[in-house]
Amino acid sequence: MPDIKVTPLGAGQDVGRSCILVSIGGKNIMLDCGMHMGYNDDRRFPDFSYITQNGRLTDYLDCVIISHFHLDHCGALPYMSEMVGYDGPIYMTHPTKAICPILLEDFRKITVDKKGETNFFTSQMIKDCMKKVVPLNLHQTVQVRADKRSFLNLCYLKYKTAAWIDKCRPDILITESTYATTIRDSKRCRERDFLKKVHESIERGGKVLIPVFALGRAQELCILLETFWERMNLKAPIYFSTGLTEKANHYYKLFITWTNQKIRKTFVQRNMFEFKHIKAFDRSYADNPGPMVVFATPGMLHAGQSLQIFKKWAGNEKNMVIMPGYCVQGTVGHKILNGQKKLEMEGRATLEVKLQVEYMSFSAHADAKGIMQLIRMAEPHNILLVHGEAKKMAFLKDKIEQEFNISCYMPANGETTTVTTNPSVPVDISLNLLKREMALGGPLPDPKRPRTMHGTLIMKDNSLRLVSPEQALKELGLSEHQLRFTCRVHLQDPHSDTDTLSRIYSHLKSVLKGYAVQHLPDSTVMVESIVLKVSSSAEEPDLKVVLLSWCFQDEELGSFLSTLLKKGLPSAL
Amino acid sequence: TANMDISSDEADDWFMESLHIYRDLHVFQLEHPTKVIEWTGEKSICVADYSSARNEILELLLPLKLYAGGNKGLCPERDFKLQHGGFCDEPVECLRHIFGKRCVVTSGQYSSKLQVWDIGEGDSDIIKRTGVINPKCPSDKGRKIASGVTDGASVLHGSRINDVQQTELVSGRVLYAVGTDSLDAVSGLQFVNSSTFVVCANNGTLYVGDTRDPRMKHYVLHGSMSGSHWVFALRKDQPHSDPAACTVARLSSFGQVLVSDLRNLCSPVRQAQLNLQQNMATCDFLNVTWAPVLDSCLAVSGFDGKVHIFDTTSWSTVSQTPQPVFVHRGHDLSHEAKTDGTLLVVTTHVWHPWRPRTLLSAASDGSIHVWDWVDKNFEHF
Repeated sequence: MPDIKVTPLGAGQDVGRSCILVSIGGKNIMLDCGMHMGYNDDRRFPDFSYITQNGRLTDYLDCVIISHFHLDHCGALPYMSEMVGYDGPIYMTHPTKAICPILLEDFRKITVDKKGETNFFTSQMIKDCMKKVVPLNLHQTVQVRADKRSFLNLCYLKYKTAAWIDKCRPDILITESTYATTIRDSKRCRERDFLKKVHESIERGGKVLIPVFALGRAQELCILLETFWERMNLKAPIYFSTGLTEKANHYYKLFITWTNQKIRKTFVQRNMFEFKHIKAFDRSYADNPGPMVVFATPGMLHAGQSLQIFKKWAGNEKNMVIMPGYCVQGTVGHKILNGQKKLEMEGRATLEVKLQVEYMSFSAHADAKGIMQLIRMAEPHNILLVHGEAKKMAFLKDKIEQEFNISCYMPANGETTTVTTNPSVPVDISLNLLKREMALGGPLPDPKRPRTMHGTLIMKDNSLRLVSPEQALKELGLSEHQLRFTCRVHLQDPHSDTDTLSRIYSHLKSVLKGYAVQHLPDSTVMVESIVLKVSSSAEEPDLKVVLLSWCFQDEELGSFLSTLLKKGLPSAL
Repeated sequence: TANMDISSDEADDWFMESLHIYRDLHVFQLEHPTKVIEWTGEKSICVADYSSARNEILELLLPLKLYAGGNKGLCPERDFKLQHGGFCDEPVECLRHIFGKRCVVTSGQYSSKLQVWDIGEGDSDIIKRTGVINPKCPSDKGRKIASGVTDGASVLHGSRINDVQQTELVSGRVLYAVGTDSLDAVSGLQFVNSSTFVVCANNGTLYVGDTRDPRMKHYVLHGSMSGSHWVFALRKDQPHSDPAACTVARLSSFGQVLVSDLRNLCSPVRQAQLNLQQNMATCDFLNVTWAPVLDSCLAVSGFDGKVHIFDTTSWSTVSQTPQPVFVHRGHDLSHEAKTDGTLLVVTTHVWHPWRPRTLLSAASDGSIHVWDWVDKNFEHF
């Protein structure tokens, strides 16, 4: 069964709740388990009823693989594993495993505490879910359920910028198409915009708040500001909240191999807190007069230090808050990004939002060019597009099919795409066997026609070897059994036994051209390994008994000879 | 790569300078370079491949941030969105949007035919070819095209003056053909109103015609004018203009610019010798355009990797060498600029129809920029 079946349970032709079921080599794998951020009811979860109508998913799934920690790819994981029920392995990379629970907990808190939802996964469920996680490294290969041979080659795509991938030539490459219709503005221009905004605020004496999640962007933006401050000889202070720095240091040690060159170089060259212009923040600084820039957590302004600072600065139109990413519904971040100017705080107090709100998306995804490059590098046999609207993917489908001459599929949720593959199974062959097979007589082999050969296939651990039967027996410590068949053919022949044998010899020699037919001095005729003898009884000298004996390997020829002789000998001999 | 020390790297300098000299700046990289940028709607443009095997025609939606007005800060959309795409069987030489329709017409580098394309509505994202126009006479490859400005979709097209004709798109009927035997190569053409049109020849000669009359008036350049190749731009305030309100600019491959009144093409009202050296072997990318909003401003490109903007108000009939009011150096100096040794050239540029200082420019390395420059002499909002 070389077919691979792919069924999106979410993100078929849909944006959000990524969840793709793959059936390959007898195994069922779930790729991602995301939440659709636009819905508040069951539509936000992937449709697991496709797998089974009721009950737990453990028996139906061999494993779950999570590609990255964004909520539209992992947001439904605790729901799936703890509320629907799944106890098998969940694979993800180390950074994903570190960040997932934090994002999930934040998300849970906001949904339950801020929005008052009741049917949602709990903190304990998130913890229980994460216990099932098996973290992996780049290019690590995992054998799932060792009783059958299946391999998962997990290549973590540097999802952010230029994806880097081996020429792994997969049977299917599944890729999001949303960004294939985007041509991205350069990173430099985004950074330029950021610096321009910060500078404009500082120039007019305003304070700039940048709420961040612990990693990645915060550090890059710091480096950017530091260079800019140096260049422009600016004096306003830049602060980095300490909670952030501790967490960040910890995460950076984990992620150093995953981050880009620039960060790595800087981090290695110096402790990031040896910035000239960037200092650790103390909450009393928020009341200091004059311009300043502060990086603080959490990223969506839903709690903690960043929210506290925001409350202090929101009333002044000279100030600015720069939101560097998507904010979940229910958070202050989400509200101000929707233009809300009056916010209700605890104790019925209203907060007027007069400061400038800037939404700068620094999240980097692949774009049209990036996806084509990815396909070019990986050389898949087939492509599956998910996460886009069918009508808006027709051009991309055409483009891929034309450029790479491969099939491009776009299944909807619940629709199964079956791809027939032609898997090649690599087998090692022993040199002896190869030499022996090549030395066999007969006409020259036709390079276009496959040639049958005989050998023994040994499957041990993860290797396949083809060896001669003798070698196999030796390795396995078994002795060879020889099977010999005998059969008697009765012939009416007036000649002497010896003459009859000679006649048989002549007959066989004329019929079996190309075979080795020998008349041996010990009164036997041999055809290959088949032995023929003639005898008769004293009572009936004309009734000849031809005894044929052959070994198992010559079964076919032996049968042929016995049938031939039963027809009798031609009188012309 | 940025480092913590103050860098003398030219690209870094330009980057820092860009904070002050541009209000908005967007830098993109197409898979293949385009030599056409054509407005197909208020927020969308068409570009087309001229160098690859598949010659894609793409309709792109401009970054929404540019249109967010007062709410600009809340709009994070900085990217081009691909709305529609199609494939052409030859590299695209000229691409024109048909006035009032969701349709473009292209000419190619391998043949003399024109191809008509439907850009497609909400239904599908495919740009489909709906027709072919074969000129009814011998013609060079890569015909030049101009859209008719009436409701009945039509194009004016030509490769040499004697083969200029107007064809109705739906029926393929030839509505008009010029009655001259001039073999001058056409460098550009455009309608002034529903019947009056202007054609510029490679040698700088201007022809003014009327679709009600096969005869044309022509205005040859003064003998002292040199330059192998001339292009032109017509400034008019609406699709249907009175010739009295129109100005013509002509640019030569030697950097001369002549500005003339459409009613009096014999004597230019202004002229200049721009300090621009053409470092390309080809004149293919020479381009001059009038700003649609700013008075008397024109943009010039095709000499090098830059776009040069001039204010012609101070020019006179005596040719001088003016300084540009702005030079866009992004294609040469942005961090993404390719430096594989081949000479970079700006292949085309267009002005935004109503944002006074916004332009789009494309270069031979596939880059396409959207930029809104700051005029140091004026305050703005």
